[in-house]
Amino acid sequence: MMMDIDTDPPPRQFDQVAINDNDVRNIVLSYLVHNCFKETAESFIACTGMKQPADFPVGIDKRKPIFHFALEGNALKAIELTEQLAHNLLEENKDLHFDLLGLHFVELVCSRKCTEALEFAQNKLTPFGKVHKYVEKLEDFMALLAYEEPEKSPMFHLLTQEYRQHVADSLNRAILAHANQPSYSAMERLIQQATLVRQCLHQDFGKDGAPFCLKAFLKS
Amino acid sequence: MGGVEDDEPPSKRVKVSSTGVRSFSGSLSLSEPVTSFQGESMARPLPFEGGEEMVGSKQVIKKVEFVRIITKALYSLGYEKSGALLEEESGIPLHSSVVSLFRQQVLDGNWDESVSTLGKIGLLDENIIKSASFLILEHKFFELLGKEKVMDALKTLRSEIAPLSINNSRLHELSSCIVSPSQCTSLGFSIQDTLGSGSRIKLLDKLQKLLPPTVMIPERRLEHLVEQALNVQLEACFFHNSLDSAMSLYTDHHCGKDQIPSQTLQVLHAHRDEVWFLQFSHNGKYLASASNDGSAIIWEVNESRVALRHTLSGHQKAVLTVSWSPDDSQILTCGMEEVIRRWDVNSGECLHVYEKAGLGLISCGWFPDGKRVFSGMSDKSICMWALDGKELECWKGQRTLKISDMAISNDGNQILSMCRETAILLIDREAKVERLIEEGQTITSFSLSKDNKFLLVNLINQEIHLWCIDGDLRLIAKYKGHKRTTMDLQVYIWHRSTEELLEALPGHSGAVNCVSWNPVNPHMLASGSDDRTIRIWGLNRVNLKRKDAYSNGVIRHCNGGT
Repeated sequence: MMMDIDTDPPPRQFDQVAINDNDVRNIVLSYLVHNCFKETAESFIACTGMKQPADFPVGIDKRKPIFHFALEGNALKAIELTEQLAHNLLEENKDLHFDLLGLHFVELVCSRKCTEALEFAQNKLTPFGKVHKYVEKLEDFMALLAYEEPEKSPMFHLLTQEYRQHVADSLNRAILAHANQPSYSAMERLIQQATLVRQCLHQDFGKDGAPFCLKAFLKS
Repeated sequence: MGGVEDDEPPSKRVKVSSTGVRSFSGSLSLSEPVTSFQGESMARPLPFEGGEEMVGSKQVIKKVEFVRIITKALYSLGYEKSGALLEEESGIPLHSSVVSLFRQQVLDGNWDESVSTLGKIGLLDENIIKSASFLILEHKFFELLGKEKVMDALKTLRSEIAPLSINNSRLHELSSCIVSPSQCTSLGFSIQDTLGSGSRIKLLDKLQKLLPPTVMIPERRLEHLVEQALNVQLEACFFHNSLDSAMSLYTDHHCGKDQIPSQTLQVLHAHRDEVWFLQFSHNGKYLASASNDGSAIIWEVNESRVALRHTLSGHQKAVLTVSWSPDDSQILTCGMEEVIRRWDVNSGECLHVYEKAGLGLISCGWFPDGKRVFSGMSDKSICMWALDGKELECWKGQRTLKISDMAISNDGNQILSMCRETAILLIDREAKVERLIEEGQTITSFSLSKDNKFLLVNLINQEIHLWCIDGDLRLIAKYKGHKRTTMDLQVYIWHRSTEELLEALPGHSGAVNCVSWNPVNPHMLASGSDDRTIRIWGLNRVNLKRKDAYSNGVIRHCNGGT
């Protein structure tokens, strides 16, 4: 019978697992580099005396502006820089390309430039509509045009920071993948795996307590 | 100009409103006595107090509604002048002036005005106003798109349609239409159509369905009411056994029990052994009988008399069943585990013999196109031939049983045959799907209705089951026979919906094996028996002569009915 990992009295099973400090630092650095925190990463490297990763800081320097343009909704600039950095990346990632163009459309709608938005949609977005899987998304974008206050429409999620973050993340991952680098940082992977394992354990052996929740774990 | 001239003496004028006024129970204030019709008095609407004016013997019909429905019917039939005249004479307008204005604005395409007029029509709740406005503005939107005024259409969408805040999914669909005109067609709006005048009329139709019927009378309301009444008469007609075209508006429809064949008109003695199968031709002009004596006979039907036309000899075994070609010019006969013969009805000549080496055939049928025939075999397979004898298809395996019933649907697609003692197989040739009707008892025979939607199944325990085979297979009715201790010698007639026995006809001196109704003359029935005779049944002439009263709203209870 598996004991409850968090609340059981010591000695607990996982206490026996040895941790290498270097590994921890690499994990932290991978997170910083993945998300383009250039200055923080430089600081961290200096403080810990670690070895710089292979393409540091060139890789970050290239990705960071793209990531930030996408995050602020300046999709056209992001696209331009991406084309310069990785020539046929967007052609190979049509979904991503569509999402980026959609971002620009949303910007136009938000700035109430309806005529421009309509023209942009007709020229750039509707060609995607020939493929079935884009049709629904296209409808969602077009629906924004119907509202004088798009923030109050049912499609308002397309205008949020979270959505932009999502698109920017996807772009970032695609660029990393294109350069044959891992598209997920080690930190993310580890957290995902740990969560999954905890959930399985809870299902198989857990008592009546709540299933594993990362947030709760971090607060405890 | 139609109508009566004004200088004619009043007594010659049609007294239109007299019945209406006489049945009015409230008090009237009139300047002239009611029963004298002079000058314009008929045209003035009668003021009344204490409730609405009613017409009809039961005082349930509101006069205003009655007149408006008639007016609407006149306009629908194309009698514009009569419609207008009725509105004037009765003083009851078809539409209030507001509604007339509204309709005109819609037809003229004055969208914004029509929306504001909509608000002025009383009796409308807010939701209806919004839905109607949505319909109108949507049409405006499509017309703008049709004229390629895209920005105007977008403006309408944003500033007029969206604020209504109803039907968001439709709103989004309209949005998509701006960039992709093909979306419009998928929504049912051809851009071409919106530019024609017909589309605005269609819009009015849609609006009329949305608005309460007091505001705009529904199309064909009068016709609908009359059809309802006819339906009620039909359903109340317990012994209904006549063609639907016999219904008239002049008198209530009512079949007496005397509409059911109950008298033997003829006894046909031509067969030398048991009569096993009977079938009238599709056009009702011929009757075919099949007998254990190895022959089939074609009889000619002349009004109510039946006379022998041809004797078809040639089979070496008993003739199990016959099948008329779709055009009745030819007939198939099937010998018991033997061959199928095709005959020309006119000459009585045998045109072809179909057989399969080593196998006996036990049933036969035609394909609806009249160019192919099929047959069930003693090895339980089914075979299909072209008329010239060329074998076309063969379905092997557990398809049939040694019972001769088979049927094929009108489109040639479904084949029904016995596949077990207690089951009927339905093969869908196109979809390559097979379905099964299973019974708890042995099935003795079955027959397919003309519209191919129903199947009547006879069971060995004297029950008859009615199945619906259109869509999911389901049992709809069961008709139970009487308890008998001896072999049955009567013909039974059942009411299809109430499952009650209508008539039992004695007469045969042997078991009754088969019956057939004349498809063209519902008053003629033929039955075949082990006593070697065929009996032709018809209406009881004596009772018929007594039925000359015309009914007008009198409800009758039939003898022996419920």
